[in-house]
Amino acid sequence: MATVTVHALTFTYPKRTQPVLDDLDVTFPSGKFSLLTGVSGGGKSTLLKLIAGLTPLPDADAITFDGHPLTQIAPAKRAATVAMLFQEPSTQFTMDTVVNELRFALENQRVDPAAIPAKITAALDFIGIADLRDRQLMQLSGGEQQKVALAIIVAMDSDVILLDEPFANIDPPTRLALLEKLVALCTQRGKTIILADHDLSNYDRWVDHLAVLDAGKVTLLSPTATQARFAAFTPDKLRLTHVALPTDDLTVSLQGTQLALGHSQRQLLRPQDLALFAHQATLITGPNGSGKSTLFRALVRLGAYQGQLTYNGQDIRKLSRKRYARQVGLMFQSASAQFLNVTVAEELALSQKFGNHTYFTPERVQDLLTQLHLADHVDQIIYSLSSGQQKKLQLLCMLIMAPNVLLLDEPLKGLDFASIQVVMRILTTVQRDLKLTLIMISHQLSGLDDLITLHLALDQQQLTYQEATP
Amino acid sequence: MNPSLKLALAVLIALEVSFTQVWTVNVALIAISLVLMLINHVTVKRFLWLTLVPLFFASALVWSLTLQGTASHHFLIVLFTRMFVYVYMGGLFTQTTDPLTLTRSLEQNAKLPAKFAYGFLAAFNLMPKIQAEVATIRAAALMRGQELHVWSPQLYFKVILAAMNWSDQLAAAMTSHGFVEGAPRTHAITVALRARDWWIFALSLVVIQVGLFIGLP
Repeated sequence: MATVTVHALTFTYPKRTQPVLDDLDVTFPSGKFSLLTGVSGGGKSTLLKLIAGLTPLPDADAITFDGHPLTQIAPAKRAATVAMLFQEPSTQFTMDTVVNELRFALENQRVDPAAIPAKITAALDFIGIADLRDRQLMQLSGGEQQKVALAIIVAMDSDVILLDEPFANIDPPTRLALLEKLVALCTQRGKTIILADHDLSNYDRWVDHLAVLDAGKVTLLSPTATQARFAAFTPDKLRLTHVALPTDDLTVSLQGTQLALGHSQRQLLRPQDLALFAHQATLITGPNGSGKSTLFRALVRLGAYQGQLTYNGQDIRKLSRKRYARQVGLMFQSASAQFLNVTVAEELALSQKFGNHTYFTPERVQDLLTQLHLADHVDQIIYSLSSGQQKKLQLLCMLIMAPNVLLLDEPLKGLDFASIQVVMRILTTVQRDLKLTLIMISHQLSGLDDLITLHLALDQQQLTYQEATP
Repeated sequence: MNPSLKLALAVLIALEVSFTQVWTVNVALIAISLVLMLINHVTVKRFLWLTLVPLFFASALVWSLTLQGTASHHFLIVLFTRMFVYVYMGGLFTQTTDPLTLTRSLEQNAKLPAKFAYGFLAAFNLMPKIQAEVATIRAAALMRGQELHVWSPQLYFKVILAAMNWSDQLAAAMTSHGFVEGAPRTHAITVALRARDWWIFALSLVVIQVGLFIGLP
């Protein structure tokens, strides 16, 4: 049992003037499940990392556990005080296998070697993953990795459990299973749980307090206000009115024959024939972790697949990598994976050199930069841009390349409402002018209606074309 | 044999071989490494790699020295065999040692600070990740019309950026699982340092000394 108290915490990132957390005061009650919400980029992760002791505090007394700052707690006891589950499942392990990672954590806590095996077994049984004990961590799915990470926290018996958007890459059934375990830890073992999420669906049964982080400050809502907030939250609705089932007069661009993804231990796509059509804007939807990004990586020859994939009738394995990469491009989910240079101007120059420069004249590029509010940033270093600015620059760079087929993996991720409107307008105009084939994965569902003409849903390991949703 | 002691033995022998010129000892070391590798079921493919790569470099070295015409035959044979001693002993060590056991042994037996021991292990576990990252960077470049080769500085710039990011992630991962720099830890699995290990270590060194002494001109 531990109460987390944050008092007068101000935190500013180096080289920024605006503090991300501003004179913040909040108390997370002991043994309760608190949900922390707020806009993306609003400082949720920063606050959790400060509480976990992963980012050094400007003032050691600003965060206390039952009145004690973390630095005053003995090193071997710190992990038993507070532990954190990360957003990106694969980045939280040091060792190779599940059992070795559990041993590593328990050794750090100076647990008697004789007691370690029993603790490991108990923790794995509590989460229900005894069968994963000797598996390689990097071969597990994101959901399994999050379960292992939670089992480690259970083994370490941490009083305060922090979770930073833990379900971002997890399919809904796994999310539910993990939530049930978390609630059990809270009610049966008296753990204090603080979970950050911007999606408020399906928490109403379990969460006691909603903490809202806005403009650097946290407001803790009462149970009644929390329930009211949950009731008012409606997830984005998918509304596609221009969508129709593919007809015979469409031209096939990419064709999968008995295409399958995944491996024997985790099948993502069961063998199926799949056609992707030229000059159309296709949206692919499906649960988190169901294999949408894996499909894109297979389409650009970065990932393994079974069966055959053809582009304009030719097996993509037999095409020259260099030529194929100019025909079928991918806008990666992580913006930094796309960039090759240091400044915005250099990055744009590279795209203009090899891209479609008859359509993307310097004037047009300048106009697009102005629309995207990037015109004043051309001399800036890319990695000092905000994540939203990076995303917009990334899209512009790939649009200028204008490959016949452009795959877009979450192109709207982390953009604010105004930016989404601008980006969708630009995408729609360019697609119509150049007759591009766009294939898009997006969890952001509003604002897509004007562009999308075909809709593929990935469900039960099968991709099927959908009809219009009124 | 205990991994730390095995590492020490390999390094000591390599050092001695570097400063002496007895080709018979080199040949004996090559033969012993070969036999031990065969006993430990090293794959044929791995074995061919371990042979062909040094063969190329050793031959090139000997050939260029012969053209110069100043080196004696004896010296050329010593150089040629020395190259194989390094590679075969290195191969024998890596093929018969599990990185995790070596890490535990370095921490427990050689008293290396845990930070370095686990840092080494993490770097080892990062290898497949680096390969995947390089493939992604090259694909991203091709999509922009640029071909990146192994000698392209941009490739290294991006890999270093990614590695810096990973090192932050790894530090966070270790901290969140209770690792505190310099703090004492317990050991779930102990790596034994037996008398037998010391005997093998000492005897091997003695045999080498005798061989070198007899073989010296």
